[in-house]
Amino acid sequence: MRWLILFALMLAACSKGPEADLQYIKQARSAAAEWALVNEQAQQGTVTGTYAASMHKWLRDEVHTSLTSLTEPDSPYGDEIAALLQQPDDAAPQALRARSDNLKKIEDSLESA
Amino acid sequence: MNPLELTLGIMTAVGGFVDISELVFAAKAGSTFGYALIWVFAFSTVGIIVFSEMSGRVAAVAKQPVFNLMRHRLGLKLGLVTLAASIISNLITCAAEVGGVALVLNYLTGAPYMLMAVAMTAAMIVSIWVLPFKWIERAYGLLGLFMVVFAVALVAIHPPWGQLAGGLVPQIPHGLSTKEMLTFGYFVVAIISAVMFPYEVYFYSSGGIEEGWSPKDLLTNRMTAILGMGLGSLLAISILASSAQLFGPINVDPSIPGSAALEAAIPFGKWGLIIALLGMFFAIAGAAVETCMANAYSIAQFFGWLWGRHKKPWEAPRFTITWIVLFLLALAIVLTGIDVMTLVEFAILFSILVLPLTYLPLLLLSGDRQYMREHVNGPVAKVLGWFYFAVICAAAIAAVPLYLLTSGGNG
Repeated sequence: MRWLILFALMLAACSKGPEADLQYIKQARSAAAEWALVNEQAQQGTVTGTYAASMHKWLRDEVHTSLTSLTEPDSPYGDEIAALLQQPDDAAPQALRARSDNLKKIEDSLESA
Repeated sequence: MNPLELTLGIMTAVGGFVDISELVFAAKAGSTFGYALIWVFAFSTVGIIVFSEMSGRVAAVAKQPVFNLMRHRLGLKLGLVTLAASIISNLITCAAEVGGVALVLNYLTGAPYMLMAVAMTAAMIVSIWVLPFKWIERAYGLLGLFMVVFAVALVAIHPPWGQLAGGLVPQIPHGLSTKEMLTFGYFVVAIISAVMFPYEVYFYSSGGIEEGWSPKDLLTNRMTAILGMGLGSLLAISILASSAQLFGPINVDPSIPGSAALEAAIPFGKWGLIIALLGMFFAIAGAAVETCMANAYSIAQFFGWLWGRHKKPWEAPRFTITWIVLFLLALAIVLTGIDVMTLVEFAILFSILVLPLTYLPLLLLSGDRQYMREHVNGPVAKVLGWFYFAVICAAAIAAVPLYLLTSGGNG
């Protein structure tokens, strides 16, 4: 039993491919959705400019980390995350939400596979 | 019992309840599992109340801080292992708090994160140096009451109160896949760890001795533990519930601490945001001070040095040097550039591993009639104490496998 658990843990630690990339896809999907929410609130004037600028920096870092952590960057989800990084800080919330939705679809398909 | 002192003590406990780990995990738990993890916050809060009350009672009656007991009860070797593990756990937690404070200042002012980490570490060192113990605790705790904006924001967004109340019933959501079940398990363990951080008990019991508690303070101790931590827990639950309502439906799993502040910005605009950020700032700064002091208390008590902020800094030189060095070490960890969220995850993981060793000697001593006389654990404290001890042992065993299998709760 102990060996089985150890084996499972080793597999979890060493896996590659879409399965291993799933956590980074989720990370990027959430960052895109947070980015959209921040921009939506900034448009409505409910957050300060300093806060929005700071959040943009950290969220962009988050997306960048997701992209560089992928074991398969040349993949549909890798392209989607790279395209997200190309967005300007003040991108339209709808555009960012569309990116987040695309990543969510990929995430759901990988999880159900 | 002075009613003003009692009220201030309770308010301090409320404002100081939430730290960076609770903030992060409450927001993530709400967005990922809706209201289904509220019961874990409530359950863990009862646990920390039980152990805090116990540690305060031991401090008041036996005049023994936790680490003094640990060496006597566990023996030198196991005591040293526990000391080393808790130093690492508290240091990582302190680094996470220092990073969290710097992040919040960055959201508020736009000043560079690293610079803010250095400036805030210096400011916190100065605050410990100049303020008497009671005001170190109170200044941060009372200003942390800005966090109440999260509870008010929850009321303002009109959550489904029935569903929210349903979250208080222990449950595992239906229809989860194996992976989601493991992630749910990881969140349960992480919340238990975040709420029952060992530093809270080290700080609370050492604080009791700093303030010269005696058996006549036992009612104050009990009221502060029950009301202060109970009401403080409502703030964490508010963050979770607002996250379930506002973030979950739009696929946001708050990945950085600043996202939580949106919960107050959405109903109240810029002022809501600023008050939330100020609350986060003081609550996390208070936790940074507490973790650093708790670590210094542990080391000084274990080795039998003179300790305490009731003395002038130069009257307890080894203790003073220890807390300053620990703050600088925490800063050094932050300056390596490690992500705050990663630090939070490590803090959670290390803390849960240390928890059983922290609470066992406390349980043994508070149940020892020779030391505690008529203030020995009653049947309720005894049953709850051993029950929660079993729970944290199980959580400690499950923590590492769950962390690895779920990539730290990220699926």
